[in-house]
Amino acid sequence: MKRVGERQEALAGYAFIAVPMVLFLVLNIGTTLYAFFISLWDWNIRRGPEEFLGLQNFERILSDPIFQSAIRNSIYYTAIWVPLTMAIGLFLAVVVNQKIRGRTFFRAAFYFPAIASSAAITVLWIFLLQPDGLFNEIRGALGLNPLFQAIGYGPNHNWFGDYRTAMNSVIILNAWTTSGTFMLFYLASLQSISNDVYEAAAIDGAGPWDAFWKVTFPLLKPGHFFVATVGVIGGLQLFDQALIAGSSNGDPNNSLMTIVLYLYNAAFVQLNFGYAAAVGVVLFLVIFTATLIQRRLFGDTQPA
Amino acid sequence: MRNRLLTLGMTAAFVLAACGGGGGSSAPGTSGPGATGPAATGPAGTGSAFDPSTISGEVTLGAWESSPAEGTALEAALAGFAAKYPNIKVTQETVAGDYRVQMVTNFGSGDVPDIFYVNAEYAPEWMREGFLEPLDDYIANQGFDTSTFYPGYADVFKSDGKTFGLPKDGNTIAMAYNTDLVTTPPATLAELTTAAEGLKGQGTLKAPLCINPSLDRGLAFLYAQGGSLLNADNTAAAIDTAESKAAVQWYLDLVKNGLAMTPSQLGDGWCGEALGKGDSAIVFEGGWLKGAMDNDFPDMNWAFAEVPAGSAGKVTITYTAAYGIAVDSENKDAAWVVMQYLTGTEGMQKWTEGGIAVPSRSDVPVPAGFEVIVAGAEYAKPGSGFMPGYSDVLKAFGDAFVAEVTNETYSADPVVAATKAKIDEVLQ
Repeated sequence: MKRVGERQEALAGYAFIAVPMVLFLVLNIGTTLYAFFISLWDWNIRRGPEEFLGLQNFERILSDPIFQSAIRNSIYYTAIWVPLTMAIGLFLAVVVNQKIRGRTFFRAAFYFPAIASSAAITVLWIFLLQPDGLFNEIRGALGLNPLFQAIGYGPNHNWFGDYRTAMNSVIILNAWTTSGTFMLFYLASLQSISNDVYEAAAIDGAGPWDAFWKVTFPLLKPGHFFVATVGVIGGLQLFDQALIAGSSNGDPNNSLMTIVLYLYNAAFVQLNFGYAAAVGVVLFLVIFTATLIQRRLFGDTQPA
Repeated sequence: MRNRLLTLGMTAAFVLAACGGGGGSSAPGTSGPGATGPAATGPAGTGSAFDPSTISGEVTLGAWESSPAEGTALEAALAGFAAKYPNIKVTQETVAGDYRVQMVTNFGSGDVPDIFYVNAEYAPEWMREGFLEPLDDYIANQGFDTSTFYPGYADVFKSDGKTFGLPKDGNTIAMAYNTDLVTTPPATLAELTTAAEGLKGQGTLKAPLCINPSLDRGLAFLYAQGGSLLNADNTAAAIDTAESKAAVQWYLDLVKNGLAMTPSQLGDGWCGEALGKGDSAIVFEGGWLKGAMDNDFPDMNWAFAEVPAGSAGKVTITYTAAYGIAVDSENKDAAWVVMQYLTGTEGMQKWTEGGIAVPSRSDVPVPAGFEVIVAGAEYAKPGSGFMPGYSDVLKAFGDAFVAEVTNETYSADPVVAATKAKIDEVLQ
């Protein structure tokens, strides 16, 4: 009797998720498999498959120096941007987790850049970093120019126009805009840590510094894993800021060429849809591998 | 733990799906291989004369709009059309955002405007991919006069002996100079460098010339000095000939010798801004410079002159856009009627009277201020759209050129080698 009831309950459950599940299978899994299929062809967007190429698209991708720059740039961006943004996000989360006056205001203020349109905020950033933009003016007024001169940047340095600084400018922009989101994730994790642990630590004589590094930080492990994973996936998909700041060429000199921008070029500039789908497959594999590695590094993330 | 992995896998799959995009909507075989000619769709069949005034129907027109003035000019031209052909209703669809990308997805879905702008930049790819309807039968059957289109514009939209578009307007690159600092514009490249030497350090100039680190202007100087990108029948690279190399070196030497700077070095968005701000005295731009200067720098005294002649005589390059008709259009006859009006003398005059476009045919009056631009059209060569994959070649040249300038090495060899490698790749 009980078994029948359980089965009915399960059926009801499946019935409830049926519609979104079908949509998910068709729109996500279906299109993914279709992209795998397209990647094996010379594919015309109007006429469909023209010629079966097998793995030739993949061979061409891997031997293209511009794709190699794209991979390098995407990995560089991810390797710098993710830890930087995690650090800022964690710092902000710890700050606004204190019982301070107006903390709701600070939470909202720190999160604010994340809700602004990335296109608008990138354009704003480009204006700020122009040779005669606000950033150069301010560092001049503060007398910081000798410092910048020492590391090779003149008073009117064109931050987005010079291929040595373009990507770092995007990294700083995105660290600023995304740290609010990361703060939110960390805040949720912080609040799941029981106060008992802190009390126990205090009884054992731990100061705030020790309490943070020996209690809070390790207990945030599930939070770290989540944020790092979301960050790496997002980082490897860097696109809109690169397109706006460096056009579809990833200017200057491929410094803003990312994997997704390369894919966009292959599809919409070169009209090479089979090739573009193959780039998508490669990106899929890169992200999948990165996620598996992270999984290994962070081990079991279930809170004890 | 398994659940989490699964979620991650699916997130990654979603990425791929999102990227694979486009393809999802173009199921194989949804549309024929572009074989439907005008003959199949209406009275334009081979041999029968085509009378535009007998056609009726509805046409959608796809256009980009880079300024309100451009919209007004198109409205004026379409008003003229409505008065002359009341049986055809034209609905204008302004494509917002990235026109090229939006149109490509439209081609994929088959839901595409009947007639639309085709920029020279991507015309070869659109012709190759079979997006555009051949116009030869329409032109022949109506007896439409295409002889007065400047070849530097019209040739861009021809492929394999067929015409796929008619230029709606056109621009050539001219020299623009600060008339307070330059009294007589240099007429030869030798005079140009002499003039630049004399301008060093004058007024507020950061550099006498502003040049784009790209073939988008460099091509004109390449041609002017007897060089070329491709051989005569466009089948192989010619960027590695002695003349071509010398021209690239000449262009680099302008920067090396302090005669020119790139907009990035000057801290300007483009060379027009450099001229307007007084950062440079001589720049190379098309007719679009006039509107920008009138708007942003109305007090600057400047004028257009023809691009100085090199050893190969007077040469400049064109930038243009055409009207094309979609292969998948169901209203091709009516779309052609719109096209023959807008690219004919009457429609083009109404369009160019708006002051933002320059006529692409010689039998349309030249709007004030664009005389030099039109003079250049007499001898101009296409500045884009003359080969498929040119955006990649442009990029290869630009990347290598910028590297030479940034690293202050100023050697033509790596630039030429990178450009040739890319040409070989796209031509194969």
